[in-house]
Amino acid sequence: MPKSNGLPPGTLILLILRVLRPGPLHGYAIAQRIRALSSDQLSVEEGSLYPALQKGLANGWMKAEWTTSDTGRQVRSYRITAKGLKQLETEQVDYQRMADAIAAILESP
Amino acid sequence: MITWFRRVWHLINRSRRERELVREMSEHRESMHDPSKFGNTHRLLEQSRDAWGWNWLDDAMQDLTVGVRTLIKSPSFAITATLILTFGIGINVTLFQMMRVGLLRPPALKNVDSLVRFLRFAPDSSTSAVPYPLAQFVKENNTALAAVLVETSATMAWGRDAGEEVNASFVSANWFDELGYGPLQGRMLSESLDARADAPSVVLSYTFWHNRLGASTNLIGTTVYIDRKPVTIAGVAQATFPGLDFNVPDIFVPIAQREYFYPESTMLRAWGENTVDMYGRLRDGVSPAAAREALRSTMQAIAAQRPDVKTDEWLEPLLARDNFMRPSERIAVLAVVSLMGSLTGLVLIVAAANLGNLVMSRATGRVRELGVRMALGARRSRIVRQLVIEMVPLAALGAAGSLAFASATSLLIAALGGFPPYLDLRIEWQTVAVAVALGIVSLVVVGLVPAWKVAQQHLIDAIKDGGQNVSRTLDRSRLRRVMVASQVAGSCLLLIVAGMMIRSMQRAVDSSTTFDYARAAVLSIPLDRYGIRDDAARSYWSQVKERVRGNPEVEEAAIVTAAPLGGRRFQTSYDDTPGIDTFSQAVDPEYFAAMRIPLIAGRLFGPGDAKTVIVSRRLALEMYGTLDVLGRGFPKSSSEAEATIIGVAADAHSIKVGATNVVELYVPLKLRDFSEVFLIARARNDVDRLLPILREAATIDPRVIPTARAMRDDFDREMQGPRLTSAIAGGIGVLTLALACLGIFGVVSYGVALRTKEIGIRVALGAQQPALLRAIVRQVLTPVGIGAAIGLVLAIPAGLVLQDEPFYLESGDPIAFASALAIFVSAGAVAALWPAYLVLRRNPVDALRHS
Repeated sequence: MPKSNGLPPGTLILLILRVLRPGPLHGYAIAQRIRALSSDQLSVEEGSLYPALQKGLANGWMKAEWTTSDTGRQVRSYRITAKGLKQLETEQVDYQRMADAIAAILESP
Repeated sequence: MITWFRRVWHLINRSRRERELVREMSEHRESMHDPSKFGNTHRLLEQSRDAWGWNWLDDAMQDLTVGVRTLIKSPSFAITATLILTFGIGINVTLFQMMRVGLLRPPALKNVDSLVRFLRFAPDSSTSAVPYPLAQFVKENNTALAAVLVETSATMAWGRDAGEEVNASFVSANWFDELGYGPLQGRMLSESLDARADAPSVVLSYTFWHNRLGASTNLIGTTVYIDRKPVTIAGVAQATFPGLDFNVPDIFVPIAQREYFYPESTMLRAWGENTVDMYGRLRDGVSPAAAREALRSTMQAIAAQRPDVKTDEWLEPLLARDNFMRPSERIAVLAVVSLMGSLTGLVLIVAAANLGNLVMSRATGRVRELGVRMALGARRSRIVRQLVIEMVPLAALGAAGSLAFASATSLLIAALGGFPPYLDLRIEWQTVAVAVALGIVSLVVVGLVPAWKVAQQHLIDAIKDGGQNVSRTLDRSRLRRVMVASQVAGSCLLLIVAGMMIRSMQRAVDSSTTFDYARAAVLSIPLDRYGIRDDAARSYWSQVKERVRGNPEVEEAAIVTAAPLGGRRFQTSYDDTPGIDTFSQAVDPEYFAAMRIPLIAGRLFGPGDAKTVIVSRRLALEMYGTLDVLGRGFPKSSSEAEATIIGVAADAHSIKVGATNVVELYVPLKLRDFSEVFLIARARNDVDRLLPILREAATIDPRVIPTARAMRDDFDREMQGPRLTSAIAGGIGVLTLALACLGIFGVVSYGVALRTKEIGIRVALGAQQPALLRAIVRQVLTPVGIGAAIGLVLAIPAGLVLQDEPFYLESGDPIAFASALAIFVSAGAVAALWPAYLVLRRNPVDALRHS
């Protein structure tokens, strides 16, 4: 679960949207990318990706379609939508504000 | 909106989507070095499902499944509950359906919005009919109407021997075209073929063709005889062809051919008599008000030529859309309908309160189960929701059952009441909507309210004591008493109203004994048709009367302008007697003996009497406040008395049986009355032997075709409506009484069941039976008493509203009140004492040993 991995609640979807921004990816690749970009710091319980992806689909932030992967397997790849980009932007700003606020408190004398 | 749509789409494709997700996850898992780090697929699937927001639906479906399962396990409860709801909702749906079909729905006619009926209005009077030449003149001289239709009905003889009677309708040839109905067989009447007087063709109504002519298919073009004149059957109308005033005639005859049947009839030329009902088709874009104004000038043009029409008269349009009702009639109808609606609404309240009580009793049996659920973390709202959803199948069954009920009852009422076949009683979406809405309302009463009450209790504590405490609290709750009281109030009120209805029918029957119809018969001959008027008519009738009186079978015979129970009414409202209608009849002196109406004071009419009247007892009392009225002027307050009172007769509501606000006035026959009078005769022994005697006596003029009928047939027809409504009201009253008793019985027996131990201890300690009974019944006494009082009080205004037309309810009748109360008290006492008696007979001390 995200919480047990030290990921603040709600951040998982932010990360997913972020890694989808350059282009479509399938579930396994999203997990790998998050792990790689965070230099393994944030090791997600990988399955918890899927409820988050379903949430993204339900809200229309991404679309999914079956494609053939490089290895020739049938995989479902997720593509971020315009609505998803907007959501990413909002969540990024929100997150930044939150992080700055926490940082300000922590740095206070 | 798009998000919503996406979710619904997901729901529709959910099983496929979830299969895909499972596949996707398992593939992901397999590609991992350490699959155990993936997590629990099953839990992840649950979480994914949450993302789409359909959890509530899943829960509801679960509750529903549980509910259906519980119902299947207790079929007797399910059936009882469904029947109670079916009855409660069904009565309301039936009323709605009947009112819609009979009164509120516009008739099924072509372009119904532009069809109007015209009444002839003067500043202080109005009539529903107009002279035929007036309608013709309007047809040819106006700018507002695209068509004018006329109709007048007549009783005619059918068959070569003129042996059968038929109701004929003389209509303008455009009747079927304008109303928008084609033939079932042959052709309808048409302007081109039937406007001339020398082409006698008739159209048969569906009912006549089907019921009296055996639905024979080879009648078109054949010749039949109507009033002994040969005519050709042109066609048969469709079954759905509506009658504009509810009555559908047997045959339709072109009015232009009237003189073919009656060469001496002056109807087509007489400006002085209001003979036909007039309808009009408005031109496009002309409103009914605009038509009225446009026709004023036409009426003035007529008034300039004809003395029978005054310059200030106008034609007042009534809309087909409103079923040709005057606005005041419409309001009166709606008032009666809404009052009846509130009475049937009461039935639903009684039914729902009854079932609500039953549901509460059942819920208390499940207190432990609910307690366990709450202990496991279910919230109160979840408990409420579960209990409500369990009732949904019942409410749905009840609503569906009510539609079947309504459909069956309206067909039954239509059959018993002799409704014309064009009234389409099929259920429409509006009726379904009413049933669904009432189903939802009942769901609130039988589901939400008890569930909310149950969920408020300390359910978790109930696990410890087996729910006894909670059951007892619920048993004594105010809600329960309110439900008992409302059942009692509703059923008490309905019983009283039913009692009033039955009493008013009884009064109608009683009032008919004030004149003796049982051995009387009526001979009617419309002499006017044959051109027999004035002196010729008088001499004809006196010869007929002498021949009838000369027969030994005949006790007495008399001549009258409005035969008792015959339907013809001459009605006046005098300023001296506000709110009372005076029905006047011109009669000869023998009338009172023939009808056995006693003369209380004064004398009968003598030869040469003019400007004299005989008043009925009640008319004397209402107008003068005394019976000592001989020699006084009538009416009382007119400056120049029109007539002198020479006699006072006993009351005899012979014209409008059962009405409460009517009195009778008798005047001597005038010469011009004789062309449209009736002869009534009373038999010494057998009225059936009287009929051929009357017909035979009429044949002194070979042209006329007489009709004779027994007065008791008229009476039965007149009483058909009141009998039907009394039967329905009585039925509803008894059923609601049964429901209320069932409710009382349920509450008492449940209370007894809860307190078996206590009762056992009391018996063991030597308590006497009467004291025990009192203790057991006490619980329901207060709510029953309060409910009965409310019912009694509400019955007074309900009766007052219904005391006028059409029900003439005996609103203040003490017998109705007393007998309804007596019935209620005895049935209620049995319902309350029966369970107590049962438990005492079983020896409650045993209960102590068992537990």
